[in-house]
Amino acid sequence: MSSKATSKNTLIKLGTGDKVFYAINTIFLGLMALIVIYPLYFIIIASISDPDAVLAGDVVLYPVKITMDGFKKILERSDIWKGYLNTIIYTALTVVLSLIVTIPAGWALSRKTLPGKKFWMIYFIIPMFFGGGLIPFYNVMSSLGLINSMWAIVLPSILSVWNLFMTKTFFESSIPDGLIEAAKIDGAGEYRVFTALVLPLSKAILAVMALYYAIGQWNSYFNAMIFLQDEARYPLQLVLKEILIASENTTGGSGETILQQYRMANQIKYVSVIVSSVPVLMLYPFVQKYFSQGVMIGSLKG
Amino acid sequence: MASLTLKDITKVYPNTEAKKKKKKKKDAPEDPHKEKVNLQITDEGVVAVQKFNLEIADREFIVLVGPSGCGKSTTLRMVAGLEEISSGELYIGDRLVNEVAPKDRDIAMVFQSYALYPHMTVYENMAFSLKLRKLPKEEIDKKVREAAEILDITQYLDRKPKALSGGQRQRVAIGRAIVRQPQVLLMDEPLSNLDAKLRNQMRAEIIKLRQKIDTTFIYVTHDQTEAMTLGDRIVIMRDGFIQQIGTPQEVFNHPYNLFVAGFIGMPQMNFFPNCKLLLENGKYSVEVLGKKIPLCEAQQKALTAKGQKPCSVTMGIRPVHMTIDQGDFTGVIDVSEMMGSELHLHLSVGGTDIVAIVPTVGLDVAAHSIGKTVRFTFRPDLMHLFDTESELNLL
Amino acid sequence: MQKVNAGPSSAAPAQSLTARQRKTRRMWRHLRENHPFLVMVFPAVLIVFLFNYLPIYGVLIAFQDFMPGDQIIGPNTIWIGFYNFTRFFTDVQFWPLMKNTFLLCIIGFVIGFPLPIIISLMLNAMKSRRAAKVLQTIFNGPHFISLVVLVGMLNLFFGRYGLVNNIAASLGAERVSYSLEASAFRPMYILSSNWQDFGWSAIIYIAALSNVDPGQHEAAILDGATRFQRVIHVDLPAIMPMVSVMLIMSIGGLMGVGYEKALLMQSDGNLGVSELIATYVYKQGLTGVPNQGYATAIGLFNSIINVVLLIIANTTSKKFSENSLW
Repeated sequence: MSSKATSKNTLIKLGTGDKVFYAINTIFLGLMALIVIYPLYFIIIASISDPDAVLAGDVVLYPVKITMDGFKKILERSDIWKGYLNTIIYTALTVVLSLIVTIPAGWALSRKTLPGKKFWMIYFIIPMFFGGGLIPFYNVMSSLGLINSMWAIVLPSILSVWNLFMTKTFFESSIPDGLIEAAKIDGAGEYRVFTALVLPLSKAILAVMALYYAIGQWNSYFNAMIFLQDEARYPLQLVLKEILIASENTTGGSGETILQQYRMANQIKYVSVIVSSVPVLMLYPFVQKYFSQGVMIGSLKG
Repeated sequence: MASLTLKDITKVYPNTEAKKKKKKKKDAPEDPHKEKVNLQITDEGVVAVQKFNLEIADREFIVLVGPSGCGKSTTLRMVAGLEEISSGELYIGDRLVNEVAPKDRDIAMVFQSYALYPHMTVYENMAFSLKLRKLPKEEIDKKVREAAEILDITQYLDRKPKALSGGQRQRVAIGRAIVRQPQVLLMDEPLSNLDAKLRNQMRAEIIKLRQKIDTTFIYVTHDQTEAMTLGDRIVIMRDGFIQQIGTPQEVFNHPYNLFVAGFIGMPQMNFFPNCKLLLENGKYSVEVLGKKIPLCEAQQKALTAKGQKPCSVTMGIRPVHMTIDQGDFTGVIDVSEMMGSELHLHLSVGGTDIVAIVPTVGLDVAAHSIGKTVRFTFRPDLMHLFDTESELNLL
Repeated sequence: MQKVNAGPSSAAPAQSLTARQRKTRRMWRHLRENHPFLVMVFPAVLIVFLFNYLPIYGVLIAFQDFMPGDQIIGPNTIWIGFYNFTRFFTDVQFWPLMKNTFLLCIIGFVIGFPLPIIISLMLNAMKSRRAAKVLQTIFNGPHFISLVVLVGMLNLFFGRYGLVNNIAASLGAERVSYSLEASAFRPMYILSSNWQDFGWSAIIYIAALSNVDPGQHEAAILDGATRFQRVIHVDLPAIMPMVSVMLIMSIGGLMGVGYEKALLMQSDGNLGVSELIATYVYKQGLTGVPNQGYATAIGLFNSIINVVLLIIANTTSKKFSENSLW
């Protein structure tokens, strides 16, 4: 951000026009921040408030009759913890495999001397804009024997072409050619260049990619929904879907029973939202630097 | 410690298909000499280096010099193996190395950008190549410390490049290159990232370094001062062609053509275009600004031996060989630069701008201020004459 | 000066080869020296082949009378040409699906495209760098919430006894189950999408803005420009190339977004507006009695619309500015 210009600017007395501008600007952005934060805040206070108070609408700005019942109840939900464990396994596998696939490929694609570079570029670009669609994808998975296997969740997620190109752009812009040439003169072959030089210098992109793939896998539900039949293999998001959504979108029942359902399930919902999002949201402030870096790397070339 | 032979080394960057088609629409230039501008662009592509022939003796210090884009770096990179040689042969010692990978050529290189490995300490940077060669640990340690000693960087061995100044990084880069005791040490504009003072200092260091290590040097620079001070021999290049090969003395005193004359020497040689070489009664003379100057004995001999015909020439004279306040020529002072021990006078003489260097001792500086008209002359025996057509030195 | 003559004694093998032989030799050498790159790229090639190219081959079933378990090309393949397509075009669902998909995407685009641009300009124009950073961190947060949780939150907030209804009820309004209400689907879908992603989409513009030369701002200040004028005349032009690229990309993806979320938000009550082409493909192909050939045809139709849109957007952009994807 153009910090020099703006910081200098603050020393100078502002005109009225500018004052109004800054005021409107700050107020608007402040409002946006409120809109973003309040729902998240409400989930938290609702999760620790008495469910009746939440239902009655007494919980608005602060928790009412604080209780940890919701968290106690969720500890008894074995399906959630099973889902949690599954998701952790799927995510860990995805991250490890995706780095093994994405990073070397990104490096190779960033090299001018990659044999057939033009062909490979087109090979990877086409899937960005055109695909076979859901059904042929399902059929391929089926004929690979991956239905109801955890590899159906992991394998298709270990390469995102977008991430591959982001990695490529990173290497192109941040590893100087001279360094590679120096290593070659020093006697390193291509593999040695990659392991001794490129990898140690690309911690940023390793972190970004690991996080992108991890978050993607952590939050996904669709592939699990279509490929997994065995509930014991359900990832967290699919369990959450049952808790949060499946029960919701049905009509019928008198007002009384609906209210009853609410009382029972509501607290669990608030709590499960928190429990499932905590790992990602906890991580987020620490890694946001890397995340935005990733987007910026991608943006260098558009 | 090896001799090098570069034989007809040529580098062509092939055109892409699209460019080729465009090129074909135009007529190919019939006479390459007349179309100077297009010399580097042929049907095959852009020629960066053309028929480079050079033999480098063992332990010689060769400097490749020329303006940017002249092909000097490309030549160096072909020697290093970083660029493929389009045609021609490259020998290191007796071995043809055209198709030998850089690591097997027994060369080392100092890069303009230093290209130090940022995640390794100075020690690791220097040890990297030895480690790859699988040398025993003690030997690596010994060699690294020796090289560090030579370059006076022992106290920085544990630091990372980021924690070093430009000059220190430069030393490390050189250290990394010499630690392997390569047969040939290549340097690609190693001093151009340093400030002026440090550059002078490092230049002297390199001269000293040469005494300490036994190796053949090839040094690329665009700076003629570096070329003159460092090289045993200088190779002056332009547009992919060698212009002249010679010792600093040779290229300074006997520039082969107008380009070399203008490139070597600071400030630049003064040129008087549109002069006439005359031959009367078997004696040569040159007409400069309408005045006839007879040539000296040696010059007469040289021209007679060639059977040189009268023609249009450009006369060149170095600023230090000019004398003011005497002689038949006059000029108006445009700029007067006081350098301390000497005065640089920029004169305008009938539309030509020239520079004269005058010692300040006993000179009335005030009398040589801007706008004044001064008389000047020069030593005829130090004149250079260049054929207007071919731009070659006639003497 | 040194005379340059023939090199050392050894015969020159390169010389004796024809140009063609030399070229093939060079090619082999190039391949030999650079084969590690092929090894490095191979796993990615394999993954893309399996999960992207094989499905593209699989679209052939759109032109077949295909039953799950059939071979894609085998002795029993029954080719039916464009029957599945014409069947879709005459399906009673066709126009509602087209309308639902287009409306959702276009309204979403009209709101969702400019918002990040405006936010990035405003953040960049903040006096306090620190506040801008904090705000940006806040704005990015919702991006990391999963779709399931997001839709779950919508249900919690907009359910019959959710926060919104509680507030409305206290003001004397009737309680409404928004997730069952057809008219609420699009606003809820679009607003929640924007809530989740406006900050994240702004990053790319913020990055572009950070590259603006401060000198340009200083020059504008000296020229007497107000902060607002500087936003219009310095900042906005600086991100325009990025804006066009993003525009092309989002137009190309216009018809393909968000069906996973729509699927989660669907209820018996809102199916009339929430059924999209892509969710219909899912239902036709993978639920109930599978109708895979038909579903694939519909999916293919959708992809083709996307590619056509992308090409149109790119060509237009190329014509009117220098920005294009290819």
